Amino acid sequence: MRHCKNCDADIVGDRKKCPLCHTALSENEPASEEVYPLIPTVYHQFHILFKILLFVSVLIAIAVITVNLIFEESGLWSVFVVGGVLCVWLSLSLAIRKRRNIPKGMLYQVFLISVICVLWDLFTGWNRWSIDYVVPILCASVMISLPLLSWILKWGIENIIVYFCIDVFFGIVPIVFYLTGQLSVPAPSILCVAGSLVSIAALIIFKGESIWAELRRRFYV
Amino acid sequence: MAKPKKNVQWARLDNAAKIFPPTSDKNDPKVFRFVCELHENIDAGTLQKALDKTLESFSGYLSVLKHGFFWYYLEATEKRPVVHVEDSEICSPLYDQNEHTLLFDVSYYKKRMNFEIYHVLADGTGALEFMRSLICTYLSIRHKDRLGDNPPSSGYDGSFTEQMADSFQKYYDPKKKKSEKMPRAYSLHGSRLSENRIKVIEGIMPVDRLLALARGCNTTITGLLTAVLMCSLAEGMSVRDKKRPVTISVPVNLRNYFSSESTRNFFGIIYVSYNFGKEPEDIVSVVKSITGQFKIKLTKENLLRDISAHVSMEHNAALRAVPLVIKDFFMRLGYDLNALSVTAALSNMGKITMPKAYVPYIRHFDVMTSIKKLQICMCSFENNMVVSFTDSFVSADVQKRFFRYFTKNGIPVEIVTNPLDERRA
Repeated sequence: MRHCKNCDADIVGDRKKCPLCHTALSENEPASEEVYPLIPTVYHQFHILFKILLFVSVLIAIAVITVNLIFEESGLWSVFVVGGVLCVWLSLSLAIRKRRNIPKGMLYQVFLISVICVLWDLFTGWNRWSIDYVVPILCASVMISLPLLSWILKWGIENIIVYFCIDVFFGIVPIVFYLTGQLSVPAPSILCVAGSLVSIAALIIFKGESIWAELRRRFYV
Repeated sequence: MAKPKKNVQWARLDNAAKIFPPTSDKNDPKVFRFVCELHENIDAGTLQKALDKTLESFSGYLSVLKHGFFWYYLEATEKRPVVHVEDSEICSPLYDQNEHTLLFDVSYYKKRMNFEIYHVLADGTGALEFMRSLICTYLSIRHKDRLGDNPPSSGYDGSFTEQMADSFQKYYDPKKKKSEKMPRAYSLHGSRLSENRIKVIEGIMPVDRLLALARGCNTTITGLLTAVLMCSLAEGMSVRDKKRPVTISVPVNLRNYFSSESTRNFFGIIYVSYNFGKEPEDIVSVVKSITGQFKIKLTKENLLRDISAHVSMEHNAALRAVPLVIKDFFMRLGYDLNALSVTAALSNMGKITMPKAYVPYIRHFDVMTSIKKLQICMCSFENNMVVSFTDSFVSADVQKRFFRYFTKNGIPVEIVTNPLDERRA
């Protein structure tokens, strides 16, 4: 084992310097075995791709605003381009943050994309495409794909049940749009609500006990 | 044939564990590690067998942490641990709120077996019961020929309910509360290692010599080491820094004061502090002051007040009904504010004992944790005291001054560190 003269301590491992005072150790003495593995530095290979994407987005935003300001008479169209880029990034960053819990990520995307689309619709003349199509189709697609994916990928019911329940209840919301006469094309909403009701019935009849137990766990005060 | 009804077991977090999930992050994952170094290389297959067998009596550890609406809770899981060669940073995060993983990990490297555990699940003493049981099982399988068919067990016999008990609730007395406001303490600064890396510097020293040195100063080993740590910190402080006190937080195993077989959290924290700007700087004065503070603070009465202060918050109906997202925010805030009044931490796991038959196979035990601040964890086995410093600073000056104090006093020290890039170190 090597010995540091200044610290008067024995140094374990194959070290050239004393870890305490950085004095060079005599390499004549045999080195002892390292007791910890050397953990290599992790190279974040994806970071550079993201940096490029982010930089391209910033470039587009600045270029669009610049052109828009030069040709002022063409209207405020750059706001839409920048808004679009921001929305894509919002959704993308959510997907990355929730990549380890896909059911949760899917549910969050339903909410995020619904809100984004309703806002876009509102600010572009309220043509109602968001509540006519986007909200019911999003809800219904998650309602169908969650149990399917869970079955194929063997996620286990306890890992999807909360997200599935929330999505199913969210799937009833379009009935409010229908009853208040907001919809111009009611068919997708009606189908979505019907699907939700079927899912709720199935959940209560087949999985009532485990849902009740899950709710008790999640909501204990 | 009807399928057996599946009933998912779940448990609330104990009082001390509640603070950990909101305050865990990459820099401070609240994970600690027990290491047992044998005289021989570890066999992966045997370790896996031993782990599976040990888990039969510690089934509460097979849990994942979930986020409820008002509180976090532990839920039993089907996931099972797989032993592996040590391949990640010391005490890397075990809890990821998006991935419900097991909250402990067993790995090995050459002669050392490592048991890492998230603090939500257990404190040092609780985890040590598991570690001891694991080693006993490992050695009894590995050396069946020499240890025979009926090898001794670790001696821990807590039942499932005893193991999972929240002992804080048991001893809580709403009439006894205290709240103590602490002044802001000196905090270490300096450049940190990249990638949230942890630097471990362990010193192995003989217990008998240390004990003799401590007795000579009329104190305990914990008292002496705390004082030496304070002096090592003080030497690096400027006159300006010395306006603030050096405060060391010392976790106390409450099982020594209140009877409990719990393998979850049951610890309190006491704070000892010393103002180098106002009081004499020599080690003798520091030792005297620290020993006095330990004597006053380590009483059953005082610790009970501390428990009650913490538990009373949990019993407040209005606070309980606050959604977890908001609780998280305030718990983080409270934790960060409290952290301002602490310079470093020192945790003495004390003497680890093993059944006699296994002692010849074991060289020493070691315990360490990952934390933003500097922390000492120590434990002794037979005549080996292992003092482990963990921090994320590039500089090792405090450690150098600390261990030099002992070598100057004639105590041999063996230094073990984890290899970092030597160009930077």
